[in-house]
Amino acid sequence: MYVRPGLIACACLLATLPAVAHHSFAAEYDANKPVTLKGIVTKVEWTNPHARFYIDVKDAQGQVVHWNLELGSPNVLTRSGWTRKALSVGDQVTVEGAAARDGAKMASARVVTLGDGRRVFGGSSGGDAPPPVPAK
Amino acid sequence: MMKRLLLASALVALVPALFAAQATPPAAPTPAGASPRNPPAPKGPAPKFPDGTPDLSGVWSGGGAIGDLAAGLPKGETIPILPEAKKIMDARQSKDDPEANCLPTGVPRVAPYPWRIVQTPTHTFFLFEGNIHSFRQIFMNGKHPADPDPTWYGHSIGKWEGNTLVIDTVGYNDLFWFDFRGHPHTEKLHTIERYTRTDLGTLVNEVTIDDPGAYSRPFKVTFNARLRPNDELMEYICQENNQDVHHIQGPAGTP
Repeated sequence: MYVRPGLIACACLLATLPAVAHHSFAAEYDANKPVTLKGIVTKVEWTNPHARFYIDVKDAQGQVVHWNLELGSPNVLTRSGWTRKALSVGDQVTVEGAAARDGAKMASARVVTLGDGRRVFGGSSGGDAPPPVPAK
Repeated sequence: MMKRLLLASALVALVPALFAAQATPPAAPTPAGASPRNPPAPKGPAPKFPDGTPDLSGVWSGGGAIGDLAAGLPKGETIPILPEAKKIMDARQSKDDPEANCLPTGVPRVAPYPWRIVQTPTHTFFLFEGNIHSFRQIFMNGKHPADPDPTWYGHSIGKWEGNTLVIDTVGYNDLFWFDFRGHPHTEKLHTIERYTRTDLGTLVNEVTIDDPGAYSRPFKVTFNARLRPNDELMEYICQENNQDVHHIQGPAGTP
């Protein structure tokens, strides 16, 4: 049997994961509005209360749509292994997250597939807990 | 059997990696599917200074309300909120939460960021990494002024009762919320926090909330803080790029 250590870690730690935002996640983002966005990074803001990055995404009609994506705070990201250089302008990335309630082109980035192909947590509020793993 | 063995060995192999992750930030972002962010609290006896004073110093997380103050109540109890205070709470909107607006948590709310206790003979300091990047000062064996100006953290005096640090605070303003749900209070708020380090990695905070302006009787809530060994506070300036508040909608609620 192939055991994925990462998933075991998540099973052990899931119960103690805190919220990591200074605001109510559910009041800003809608977990029932999941988005997957593939685009090119145009700007990175390594700032508080949330690091943000912006990507240009081509929609079905070929129009470029500019999205504003929320990560955890730089401190949360640093403690989980990110650096401010993990994302660079020009990188092709894929973001899985939850869209803003108010319809703005904003999302909380739960998982980011970086330019080099690594799929990492965005450290963002509410939606960043590892997926639940069956007990056995 | 093989499956169990593999599982056990994978767990054992993982434990040093988790502790190593606290000492120095990991070299790469956490892969999706694994999170080393919350290692278990270390085990061992609660330390003391050479003079016998309990040593509460260190970097902690938790120890107060975040989502809902009621999470700290004994099982089966409810918060004795007065009707007028309930009306205020029910009318509150998430966008107005001081925490979302980069204002202080007050007491006994905590932000989901680490904080540090620093003890001196005259003062105990709580240094907060986040929200906001501020501090509380507790005057050891001090006295409250007769008519303190209302402030976000109030006027705090501390004393030791055995191994417990007892912090008595008055002089609060009525601006902070107790939690994301928006439990309110008035300037009559008086808190008594009792901090006991029950072992190396655990700090228990039992808080008595006494506010006749908002609650029909004093009540107790208890929260545990967990030690973050080898961690250090980092800078966190909430105001620099707070875009959230313009997009937050709806009534105050859970995280």
